[in-house]
Amino acid sequence: MSTAASHEQIADIDAGADSHGIWTRPLRKTGIVGFLTTVDHKKIGIAYAVGALFFLLVGGVEALIIRLQLMTPENDLIDARTYNQLFTMHGTTMVFLAVMPLSAAFFNYIMPLQIGARDVAFPRLNALGLWTFILGGIVINLSWFFQGGAPAIGWFGYAPLTSRQFSPDLGTDFWIIGLQILGIASLVGSFNFITTIVNMRAPGMSMMRLPLFTWMTLITSFLIILAFPAITIALVELMFDRHFGTHFFEVSGGGKPILWQHLFWIFGHPEVYILILPAMGIISEVLPVFSRKPLFGYPLVVFSGAVIGFLGFAVWSHHMFTTGLGIVATSAFAFLTMLISIPTGVKIFNWIGTIWGGRIRFTTPMLFALGFIWMFMMGGFTGIMHSSPPVDAQQQDSYFVIAHFHYVLIGGSIFALICGIYYWFPKVTGRMMNDFFGKILFYTIFIGFNLAFFPMHILGMSGMPRRTHTYKAEMGWSEANLWSTIGALILGFGIATFVIQLIYSCFRGEKTSSDPWDARTLEWETASPPKEYNFAYNPVIHARDQSWENKYGKTGKRMEKIAPGEHGIHMPDQSWWPLVVSIGLFIAGMGVVFHGQPLEALVPFVTSEIDVSLLHLTVPGLVLTFYAIFKWALEGPGGYHLHPSPEELKGTREAQPHEQQGH
Amino acid sequence: MKWLGYIWIGILLIVTAISIPQCLFTSDGSVMNMMGQQSALDPQGPISQNQADIFYITLWVTLFLFVTVGGTLAFSIWKFRARKDDDPNTLPPQSHGHPLIEVGLVVASAALLVVIAIPTFGGIILKKKVPVEYEADAIEVTVTGYQWWWGFEYPEYGFHTANELVFPAGRAVKLKLRANDVIHSFWLPKLAGKTDLMPGQENTMWIKADEPGYFWGQCAEYCGDSHAYMLFRAKALEEADWEDWLARQQTETVVDGAGYTPVALEEAPDNHDAEMIEHGTELFVENCARCHSVDPRVQTSGPNLAHFGSRSSIAAGWLENDPENLARWIREPHEIKPGNFMWKGFPDPNDSRVIQMEGLDGADLSEGDVEALVAYLYTLQ
Repeated sequence: MSTAASHEQIADIDAGADSHGIWTRPLRKTGIVGFLTTVDHKKIGIAYAVGALFFLLVGGVEALIIRLQLMTPENDLIDARTYNQLFTMHGTTMVFLAVMPLSAAFFNYIMPLQIGARDVAFPRLNALGLWTFILGGIVINLSWFFQGGAPAIGWFGYAPLTSRQFSPDLGTDFWIIGLQILGIASLVGSFNFITTIVNMRAPGMSMMRLPLFTWMTLITSFLIILAFPAITIALVELMFDRHFGTHFFEVSGGGKPILWQHLFWIFGHPEVYILILPAMGIISEVLPVFSRKPLFGYPLVVFSGAVIGFLGFAVWSHHMFTTGLGIVATSAFAFLTMLISIPTGVKIFNWIGTIWGGRIRFTTPMLFALGFIWMFMMGGFTGIMHSSPPVDAQQQDSYFVIAHFHYVLIGGSIFALICGIYYWFPKVTGRMMNDFFGKILFYTIFIGFNLAFFPMHILGMSGMPRRTHTYKAEMGWSEANLWSTIGALILGFGIATFVIQLIYSCFRGEKTSSDPWDARTLEWETASPPKEYNFAYNPVIHARDQSWENKYGKTGKRMEKIAPGEHGIHMPDQSWWPLVVSIGLFIAGMGVVFHGQPLEALVPFVTSEIDVSLLHLTVPGLVLTFYAIFKWALEGPGGYHLHPSPEELKGTREAQPHEQQGH
Repeated sequence: MKWLGYIWIGILLIVTAISIPQCLFTSDGSVMNMMGQQSALDPQGPISQNQADIFYITLWVTLFLFVTVGGTLAFSIWKFRARKDDDPNTLPPQSHGHPLIEVGLVVASAALLVVIAIPTFGGIILKKKVPVEYEADAIEVTVTGYQWWWGFEYPEYGFHTANELVFPAGRAVKLKLRANDVIHSFWLPKLAGKTDLMPGQENTMWIKADEPGYFWGQCAEYCGDSHAYMLFRAKALEEADWEDWLARQQTETVVDGAGYTPVALEEAPDNHDAEMIEHGTELFVENCARCHSVDPRVQTSGPNLAHFGSRSSIAAGWLENDPENLARWIREPHEIKPGNFMWKGFPDPNDSRVIQMEGLDGADLSEGDVEALVAYLYTLQ
């Protein structure tokens, strides 16, 4: 290692306190301990990506079983209940366990590099986000193995179908608790990213010089912290209805099922933008690089992202046009929904403006980016159609809607995320993914996707309702369904092969320089893969596309590099406590899931008359959680110093007195 | 190895080329299945007509956008591609944007939306309010959604029926929508888009068929295990047929009094004797009557079966109503509609492990019993 590390504990008091704890502070960077206690945003980002890609494949397999069941009319490959469980788990998995964490992986890995930070603001909190995501995903999927199997309530869980009366199974309880734990993951992550972007930008990196992806990270994070409380409340109310006899959603007790829909969609609609804004950020990075031009209308693209985020909270009832809202409410939400298509259109116009007059290089990431614009545009057009309630009355809950949101979420989010993986892969690993193979995969995915989802427009307009596991031959839906299934198989094959290529390239990919794309933003200035401390020097920013200006710009716009002081670069210490907090929450959550169930039904070889109560698991789990939080606070950030090698510090200068930083 | 990639893409393109005509022209010969049984693009009434019209407006607007915006995108991808003879050192002009173009496009998109917004407003009002000219001779029907069937009540005439909505053509039908258990959604695509049936809330909508006809509808909100089997049929009748139907539905099917005895309505068909029908009636009272009322004035927890023989479908629109299907439906309802209460019984709402009303699971009906039940049920014309 060319880096000299010195493990002086910053605060001796901390070190002293630790030695009395259960564990001493972990120092190993490698192996299983290093992985479980890491606070490095880059390792956490990779772990997020691995988890998300795993769940993407799980959700994909669920989708393929769904498609195989629908391939022919009155098929009996799987029964109705299994089908209902599969679409519930497919939706939940793809939204909460695949697309969101894959975006979070990019936030974690790329955003600090783009703003010239050494890590996120709260490294241990970042680790907590990772572990709660993984354990939340495990909780939801554990439901398959218990009485009643996975939930069969739809990913939206409309009351009163979720009540104990209509869904007596444990699956719904696993779903509630899993989503609550995942909510913690999203919230701590978002607070962390906001703090990081607001406070930890390199000197000279003003807000209007932020790379677009970082802007979208910021906006998405705000959406998450404003939207998730709504679903948290809804889930708490549902949990109380199911376990403790309240009647928030039960008509017999004076509750209202429509309350769930309002709470769910005031979360659920911003959630749609939580899924698509990071994708738009990635696209806004990739298009300028491969057109060799700056982003067209940067301020307007940023502003329209913010407007989308803002309006995203004002359109939730367009998911409820058929629930019998009044004329005024229906009209208001219809017109607001139409309005939101304007900032979305602005983005598309500006992306076209970006490639206009450029020199387009058709690399794999660029193909995915251009594919994204086409597919997202299609999804946007169908979105305009059902912003009109009379049209929506026919399309709501039909396959037309399925076509619409898969165009937005696969053709949009997934295309952009794959694009981001191809684009940033050399930065993360120092290796390339094969370009020719990548292009073949792009065309496979593109064709498979359109073959799978375009016929669904026709199915929807000819009356096929969604969430039905079978249909009669005389409906005339057989051909479109057959072709849709064939397309889905091609798409699934493409995605699976992509994951294989990804794994292969990690080990066998061609080695490359730190800037293989001739890119524009700051992350391409540092080594590939970046060192633990990201940048050996403190960059001073003088332009929006700093890396580009360094290569082609005027002297005055080039970046300055300030050498770290003589005590080197301060790095945060690793910690066990984020993992312990997550495990505590996991145990407490399982206690709520099993609350009121007879013990003998759950644990083999146990014969006793008692039911599981909160005292058995929930209280111990919460005690563990709070103990770990307490220890976490006492432990302090800790830290040690690293000294970059002299060749990494070439071209740097000493800090002026006014540039001295706290760390 | 590259040629393998090209061959693979070639195969995919051929598959796509084969799929396009098959998806556009369905087996019944209509383009994009537009004439299909549940197609929203084959409107047969004023509401669905209005909804289809607005759909076409949005379709044309978005097609226009697709051609202009997509055309520009395609053109610029082609025009500004990097060429082999490009000098790698010349940079394209680093333009950062053009305020006039940007603002101009925002204004243009807003203007296009107005084109959609105005008819939208009219459509919202039309679905909610019956126009004055139809108000006078409108009839009323209360629709109730159950897991997984439909109850139709005609409050002006005081009788119930199930799973088949019958109404006069050319007259408006005002629907009151309710749900008994979970949320369902009433969707009759050829006559109107859907409105949800919400527990604890009464929604309204109206429909009208321009001509007599036979329509298919389906529950459009996920409502549990057998959601896919929750269909219904609708019949718009000529005025005279409608009067006939009304009169028949109001015929008594039970003998009033302490016994509450169902009686066979009509003479037995040739191959069944009166004894068999008698036996069927007894079996019905013993096994079915707790959930299925045969009194048109009384609605119990299962579909009302008074005048069952006059309906065209059974099992909530899933099977055609013929003796063979009916026998199968009585023998193994759980095979046809999984999760169905007719087989496993009606669970106690407070504890789903307790059965409140027995289903056919334990009834142990013989082939002869089933035959007798079928014979009885078809007397209820």
